[in-house]
This record gives sequence, C-alpha cells and structure tokens, in this order.
Amino acid sequence: MLQIDDRRFNRLAASAVGIGFLLLFLAFVGGIFALIGTERSSEQVDHSYEVVDQLAEIEVRIERAEAASRGYLLSPAPVRLSTFRENVAEIPPGIDRLALLTIDNAFQQRNVAKLRTQVADELDTLTAIMAKAGAGQSEAARADFVREVQLRRVNAIRSTTGAMRTEELRLLDNRIASQSRSSSLSKLVLGLTGLLLILIGIGATWLVRRYTRDLTQARDRLHLLNTDLEGAVAERTADLTLANDEIQRFAYIVSHDLRSPLVNIMGFTSELERADKMVTNFFDTLAKSDTPVPEDVRLAVHEDLPESIDFIRSSTQKMDRLIQAILSLSRQGRRVLTPEHLPMDTIVGEVVRSLEMVAADRNARFLIEAPLPDLFHDRLTVEQIFTNLMENAVKYLAPGRPGVINIRGTANGGRTRFEVEDNGRGIAPEDHSRVFDLFRRSGQQDQQGEGIGLANVRSLAYRLGGTVTLRSVLSEGSTFIVELPQKSSAEGKPE
Amino acid sequence: MNAQQPVSIIMIEDDEGHARLIEKNIRRAGISNHLTHFLDGTSALEYLFNSPDGPANNGPAMVLLDLNLPDMSGTDILTKIKSDPRLHRTPVVVLTTTDDKVEIARCYDLGCNVYITKPVNYESFSDAIRQLGLFLSVIQVPDQDA
Repeated sequence: MLQIDDRRFNRLAASAVGIGFLLLFLAFVGGIFALIGTERSSEQVDHSYEVVDQLAEIEVRIERAEAASRGYLLSPAPVRLSTFRENVAEIPPGIDRLALLTIDNAFQQRNVAKLRTQVADELDTLTAIMAKAGAGQSEAARADFVREVQLRRVNAIRSTTGAMRTEELRLLDNRIASQSRSSSLSKLVLGLTGLLLILIGIGATWLVRRYTRDLTQARDRLHLLNTDLEGAVAERTADLTLANDEIQRFAYIVSHDLRSPLVNIMGFTSELERADKMVTNFFDTLAKSDTPVPEDVRLAVHEDLPESIDFIRSSTQKMDRLIQAILSLSRQGRRVLTPEHLPMDTIVGEVVRSLEMVAADRNARFLIEAPLPDLFHDRLTVEQIFTNLMENAVKYLAPGRPGVINIRGTANGGRTRFEVEDNGRGIAPEDHSRVFDLFRRSGQQDQQGEGIGLANVRSLAYRLGGTVTLRSVLSEGSTFIVELPQKSSAEGKPE
Repeated sequence: MNAQQPVSIIMIEDDEGHARLIEKNIRRAGISNHLTHFLDGTSALEYLFNSPDGPANNGPAMVLLDLNLPDMSGTDILTKIKSDPRLHRTPVVVLTTTDDKVEIARCYDLGCNVYITKPVNYESFSDAIRQLGLFLSVIQVPDQDA
C-alpha cells in the first residue's frame, strides 16, 4: 500500500517537475523571440526617424542654397557664394543616403527618384543663375530668379518630401505600435515566466516537504517497529526462559520427590527379603523334622514370596533408573555451556577409542571420513551427542553382519552437518520420530537401556541450536544426521 | 559430666519409612547409641538449641539430617548448627535422595561432615551406615579427652 503510493507519488512528482521545466524552457525561448522582436521594432523606428531627419536635412540644404543665391543676387558677397556651393554639394549625397535608407520601400523609391529629378532641375537652375550673377549679368540673373520663384519648383520639392515624410511617419506610427506590442508581449512572457517559476518553486517545495515528511514518518515508524521488535523478542525470550526454568524445576522436584517413596519401597523390600530368608530357613528346618507341611504353604514360601520380592526389586530398580534419567536430563538443561574451539577429528577420535573395546567384542569398526569440520561449542555436550549416537550404532547391529560405522561431516555457510551412518538393524519408518521421545525404544528389546540416549541427544542438539534427524531402512542400517551451527550463539549474548 | 558419656544421635527426617530404615540399619550395624527422631525442622532446632537434655546444653551428639523437610530446608539447620559456638563441632551427616553435585558441594561448604545419598540399594546403604558407625566411634575420642 505504502509502496504503491510512494511509487505513484514519485512518478507524479517527476512528471510535474519535468513539465514545469519544459514550460520554463518554452517561456525562455519565447522571451528570446520577444526580445528579438522588440529589438527589430526599435531598429525600424530608429530607421524611420533617420529617414525623416534625412528629408529635413535635404529640405534645409535646398532652402539654404536658395536663400544664399537670393542674397547673392541682392548683394554679391563671396561668402554667400561659398555658402551656396557648400549646400549644393551636400544635397546629392543626401539624396543618395535617402535612397539607400528607403531601399526596401518601392513607394519611397519612386518618390526619391522624383525628388532627385526635381532637385537636380532646381539646383541646375540656381547654379546657372549664380553663374550669370557672377559674370556680372545681375539683371538677367535676377530676372531668372524671379521666373524661378514663379515656377514654385521648391514647392514641388516640398510636396515630394512632404509625401515622403507622411509615408515615413505613417510607417513610424505602425512601427511604434508594433514596438509597443512586441514590448508588451515581452512583458507578458516575462510575467508568465515569473509566474511559472513561482509555481514550480511552490510545487517543488511542496513535493520535497511532503516527500521528506513521508520519509520522516516512515523512518519514525520503522524505528518504533524496530524498538518494539527488540522489546517483543526480549519479552518472549524472558517468557521462554521462565517457562524453561519452570520445566527444569518441575522435572527436578518430581524426580526428587518420586525417589523418596522409592527409597522406602526398596528399603522395606530388603527388610522383606531378610525376613523371607529367615522364614525360609525356619521352614526348611521344620520340613526336615517330618512335620507335615501343606503344599500351598510350601509354594508360598519357596516360590510366591521370592518371586514377588524379585519383581518388586527389579521394578523399583527400573523406576530408579528412569527417575535418574529425568534428573540427569533436567540437570543437563541447567548446566552452563562453555563454548570452546573443538577439533572434531580429535573429539570423534577420542569417542572411537573409548568405544573400541565394545566395538571389537561385537565385530564392528568405526571409519572417520576426515576431515570433519571444527566446531565452537561446549565440549561435554558435543561429546555426549557423538558418544550416544556411536554407542547406539555399536549396540543395534544387524545379526550376522560385521558392523561398519561411518562418521562424516560438512560445513556450509556457518552450519555444519554430521552423519553417523551404520549398517545395523535399522529403524522401522513408524518409529522414526518416536525413537527421539523419552523412554521410547524401537525394534526388538534385546539390549539394555531405558530409551534415554536419543532423547538426550535431541535435547543436547536443541541446546546447541541444532537438530538431529534420522533416515533409516529397516534391517539395512540407519543414518543419524546432526545439524549444528558452527559457532555457538551463546557466545557474546547475555545469559 | 563424664568423659564416657555416649554420643546421642539426633535424626531429623520427615519420612517415617526412611527414619525406620535408618534406625534399623544403625542398630543392625551394632550402634546402640540413644537416638532421638524429629519429623520437622522447627522441633529439631528447639531440641538442639534449647532443650535441657539437648546437645547445646548436655553432652555430645551427632546429627543425621535430611535436606527436604516440610517446614525448612536442611541446609538452614546445617548453617545454624555450624555457626553456633556450642554446636559447631557436632558432626552432621546429611542424608538425602539427591546426588546433585552442586548441592553436595554446598553442604560441604556449610560444614557438613558426611554426605550420604539415600540409596535404593539396600546393601550399599548398610555399608554406609556401618562406615557411619566407625565414624561415630572415632568422634567419641576428643569428647573422652575433654
């Protein structure tokens, strides 16, 4: 649930941020285009102003040339002549510049051409008049000038430049309008970009905050769970330890208190035995002295009494062994384990040596498939496990077949697995789990024992954190498998 | 008070059968010392420490002590005997059903002189009682010197 939410949230967040940045990029590109547009508009506006300026300059030059020539006719001073020439010289280049400036505008080009003709005409006329005046023909020049004024050539020029100016001003208006449009577009784009930035900022902050909050919550929850888990484990362990202690105490008390009446039974049985011996002796003396003895009394003295006492004795002895077994099991559970390094080849070798005599008597031999993996465990416990299993292997041989008992072991990732394999009489499948129960035995009851060994092995293996299992085929042999952690887990743990 | 005063035996044992068996076998082993039997710890302590004919006030004694008593643990009685200046030399034989090594060691630490596990096997029990008899005659020596 949490995971799915998180994944969806992550996808959502990633796409939102992605879209945000895409929009931002688009806004940036738009901004650039708007800027370029504004720039171009303002260039065009400047261009229009330049055209208008150029027109004005040409007009002024023409006016000045005319004024200079008029002054010269009234009073021919050389300074007027030079002023006239100066202005006239400037006019054609001015028109050229104008033509260049309006090269993209056909209407203006036409006007420029017209202006060029008109101005050339005007300037030729004025130059001719100035030449006449300079040659002393003042009257002729003046007459020409009057005619010239009457022709109103200057007016035609003005109307042409006026038309050009009007056209240029119209363009200027358009351009200013376009400039202001493009400028407001720029502003709009800028504003939108700003808005977008703010939105992305808010969104990203919100996402990060939410994500961080979720993370923090998850971490807190995890921490709580962890703490709880440790607490729960400690609690359960304490409960288990208590229960285990209780069982140990129970076993101890039961076996202890059971032994008390047993001591009485055994003790008084011995008393009975003593008394019986005396009665028997007396009876035998009596029988020799020809006193008639009823047959049932003879039977009671010679058979019933000794037989009963024997049964009581053997039963109590067996009961005592069973109680001792429970006691020793309960004591084993209380024993403090002291793990140490155990070279298993040596340990198993020692067990083999201790069993060699018995094995030889029974025509059996041990084979250790060295090397066995070493262990780090309580020495006595491990020895007891192997002694019990190997003793059993020697004990329950198949009749008429020399016993071969193999011991092998492997280690794998901190776990070890030992096998004690025999070719003995085997265990019936229905008894495979039963043999590990206390006081339970399998097969023909032809060997001494109380059914304690395997129960003991299992409880010892459990104590070391391991297990013991078996596989067996009846009358072919059994393999007992002991699996133990390679290192005792009791090490470093509080008791 | 004379040096020949026999050692009296004080048996503290809650099981009447055990008590009877112990007494029978003590007698059978040839020990005829006076024997007083207590079924619980309280009355035994009262006799040991306060009775005018008890061992604290009168004559040497030895104690046969069962560890499992209904009203207190035998080790408590052992501790009290061994920490009392009048009684600390009194031999104490602990008789119990357990052969738990920890318990045996604790009893010896507390000053018990002999520890006997109550046997189911009658013969070995008699042996133990006979050894006890030897022990009883030995401990009479310092008392005779006193």
